[in-house]
Amino acid sequence: MLGFVEEMVLLQLDETQGGLVDLPRSAADIVLAGAAVMELALLNRVDSDLERLFVVDAAPTGDDMLDGALHELAAEGAALTAIAAIERLTVNAEKYRQEALRRLVANGILREENGRHFWVFRTRRYPVIDDREQREVKGRLRQILLTDEIPDPRDVVLICLIEACELLGLVLAADEIARTKTRVAELSRLDLIGQAVTRAVAEIRFMIRHSSAPVF
Amino acid sequence: MLTTARGGNRGAGLAMDFAQEQAGDVTVVRLAGRLDSSTAPPAESSFARVLDGDPPRLAIDLSGLEYISSAGLRVLLVVAKKVQQAKGKVVLFGLLPNVREVFAISGFDKILTIQADAAAAVAAAR
Repeated sequence: MLGFVEEMVLLQLDETQGGLVDLPRSAADIVLAGAAVMELALLNRVDSDLERLFVVDAAPTGDDMLDGALHELAAEGAALTAIAAIERLTVNAEKYRQEALRRLVANGILREENGRHFWVFRTRRYPVIDDREQREVKGRLRQILLTDEIPDPRDVVLICLIEACELLGLVLAADEIARTKTRVAELSRLDLIGQAVTRAVAEIRFMIRHSSAPVF
Repeated sequence: MLTTARGGNRGAGLAMDFAQEQAGDVTVVRLAGRLDSSTAPPAESSFARVLDGDPPRLAIDLSGLEYISSAGLRVLLVVAKKVQQAKGKVVLFGLLPNVREVFAISGFDKILTIQADAAAAVAAAR
């Protein structure tokens, strides 16, 4: 089973081209930082309520990437808001992305292809060579979103993160997205840290939209 | 049966009590104290023992639950999922205002059945 960071990097890859799907980089960074925090929550290292997120167990998880994140949150000392914790880790997002890609290649899920664009610019693509994990996750999420099945906590996190990235189209057809709007909104709220990720990404999208809007 | 799980992470004295009794074919579980990361693991173990019924029918009394965190919400989500998979029923009742607020903001009140009192919860769990 992949961790949330690896799962989100995998979902953010264009399956045919092997590049990243169109998503503002700052929003993608928040989603990866949120994925790390939510993984720590499911490993019972951090907990949260309506106001605060706190480290409850600073013992290493055995995953270097997550342990680094846990160490940084523990070093804050006092409890943070969930948004502050996510923002604190957002600076590491590129590191998380590269580590996730390395793991996905090492696990035989992606292949790394280096090339050149116009014989000058170096390019790197990651075509998917084993899509079993993606198909399994998408199938499970479809089942939950299209029925009244209660999700398990890991599925709730994935739904939150996918919704925050506006990548539901990877899981559902257009008519299904329209039909499940209320269900997706309800399930996305079930994780309090996930709510913070959604809010932070929405703020970024709002800023991007308004910074590029014409001024009359 | 009454079991007490004492949390060690956030100060001595913070604990959760887990008690159960039968009301006919419905198991009434009473949770009291705090349901958070330190009491979630023993709460999960205790719930696992009461999910043996075929199908499980649970009424969970939260009138003594003073605090619930994300970890606590996950415990209830897992219980609800297991009950659904076993084609049983789970109904909550007696939520204190602060716990009700957490349920409202997290949307747990939309996916879990909540009743006003024990009688209504037991009837709905049948």
